[in-house]
Amino acid sequence: MHTPTHSPEQTADALYRDHHSWLHAWLSRKVGCPHQGADLAQDTFVRVLGSNELGRLDEPRAFLMTLAQRVLYSFWRRRSLENAWLEALAQQPESYAPSAEDYALVRDAIETLDRLLGGLPLRTRKAFLMNRLEDMTHVEIARSLGVSVATIERDVKLAFTHCYLASLDAMPDGTTAHLASVRP
Amino acid sequence: MNTPARRLDPITERAIDWLVRLDSGSATAEDRSAFEAWLDADPRHRNAWQTISGLLHQPIATLREAESHLPGQRRAARLALTTPQRRKALRNSAVALLLMSLGGYALNRQHPLGTLAADLHTATGERRQVQLADGSTLVLNARSAVDVEYSASMRLLRLRKGEILIHTAPDPARPLVVQTLHGQAHALGTRFSVRQLDTHSELAVLEHRVQLTATSGAQQVFDAGSTARFDGTRIQPLAASATIHAAWADGQLDVRDQPLGEVVNALRPYKRGHLRVSPQAAALRVYGVFPLDDPDATLLSLAETQPIAIRRYGALVTLIEHRSESE
Repeated sequence: MHTPTHSPEQTADALYRDHHSWLHAWLSRKVGCPHQGADLAQDTFVRVLGSNELGRLDEPRAFLMTLAQRVLYSFWRRRSLENAWLEALAQQPESYAPSAEDYALVRDAIETLDRLLGGLPLRTRKAFLMNRLEDMTHVEIARSLGVSVATIERDVKLAFTHCYLASLDAMPDGTTAHLASVRP
Repeated sequence: MNTPARRLDPITERAIDWLVRLDSGSATAEDRSAFEAWLDADPRHRNAWQTISGLLHQPIATLREAESHLPGQRRAARLALTTPQRRKALRNSAVALLLMSLGGYALNRQHPLGTLAADLHTATGERRQVQLADGSTLVLNARSAVDVEYSASMRLLRLRKGEILIHTAPDPARPLVVQTLHGQAHALGTRFSVRQLDTHSELAVLEHRVQLTATSGAQQVFDAGSTARFDGTRIQPLAASATIHAAWADGQLDVRDQPLGEVVNALRPYKRGHLRVSPQAAALRVYGVFPLDDPDATLLSLAETQPIAIRRYGALVTLIEHRSESE
């Protein structure tokens, strides 16, 4: 490992100068749009600034590529979620599109739920959302999904446990102190 | 801290049990008083309860609020969060990432049987012409995907979604077949287009002939100029002219007395986001030639000649209504 000869700011600055243009081009090609590509390149450099490895980069290109792939993955994840939502909205018999403000808020809310529920089996997600979001009783959900009431109870509990653990992971130091501090 | 075997502390677990029980729809009065007693028994109980009951408070409150403006929001959110295809699409993009990081090696490798497997696809608003290894020319409409599977005995084009037009190079030893969800189109030395929709596929023959075989085994040969639709079981000739049907390959949308709903369907692959048309507006009959590459201009010119109102919500949602509905 070699010693850093520049401050992190200088390193980031040089990295930006030398690599922004190919990274922008590469991301634009991946998503098929130069504006989106510019946003994603920006996101990638924001991650660069947050990285511990900034001072000791041997392979800046490979390093940036790895970060850019992560940015791209979460972009696709968000986009596919948004598309699924628009698709679902279109299937609602009487629903209209939400207003621009609602649109952004609702999209963020769905992304948050997706993050917290990520990794849960499909039926568990379904059962949980029917209960929490649509206020259905366990009996109603059991009937709708064709499983026993005890299974639904287990699903809802599993989902709560999963969300709780996921919310701990979202904390920088993994403690519950933050949860305690946001309480009213 | 990321060990999967991590256990909940007993108090948090108890708080979750209470929440599950109380919101199950069958909590009794005894449950409620037992819960009150548990809450009061220890301040740590109350802390755990507040943490657990506040977990998803914000996103759910947002969705409830949206629901109160426009019914259907909560259900749409639930459907979006439980769409299996989405999760599959996501896995596919994860696979794409993996392939990318292998430096494209995996994409170019030879199939053991000598088949070169290649995925061609186009994005929203993108139309693409590709020259295939045998000299055939393939045009992909926007938001289309096709797998090219050439072997010693057959040239198979598997249409995954959308629409292609193919001009085949002659090769008597290896027939060229386009496979959709609903059946196969077998080229008899020819130029033709195939479009795959959810419920059926469509064929337009521009030169020579094409033999259609539905999944059920039903067969029919179509001559130049004709169009047909086929679902898994039946093949039906259509009245539309083949050149008009395949005008998209020249970037045009040529419509003669077609419902607006079909015009909007053809524009969808060219417009990002969601284009929604009310049933009343969808039934309007439309004539005209429109540029596919500028869907917004097409919508504007439709609004000049048709009794429709176009409303936009945010950057991604466009709603087309009959004027009588929006008054």
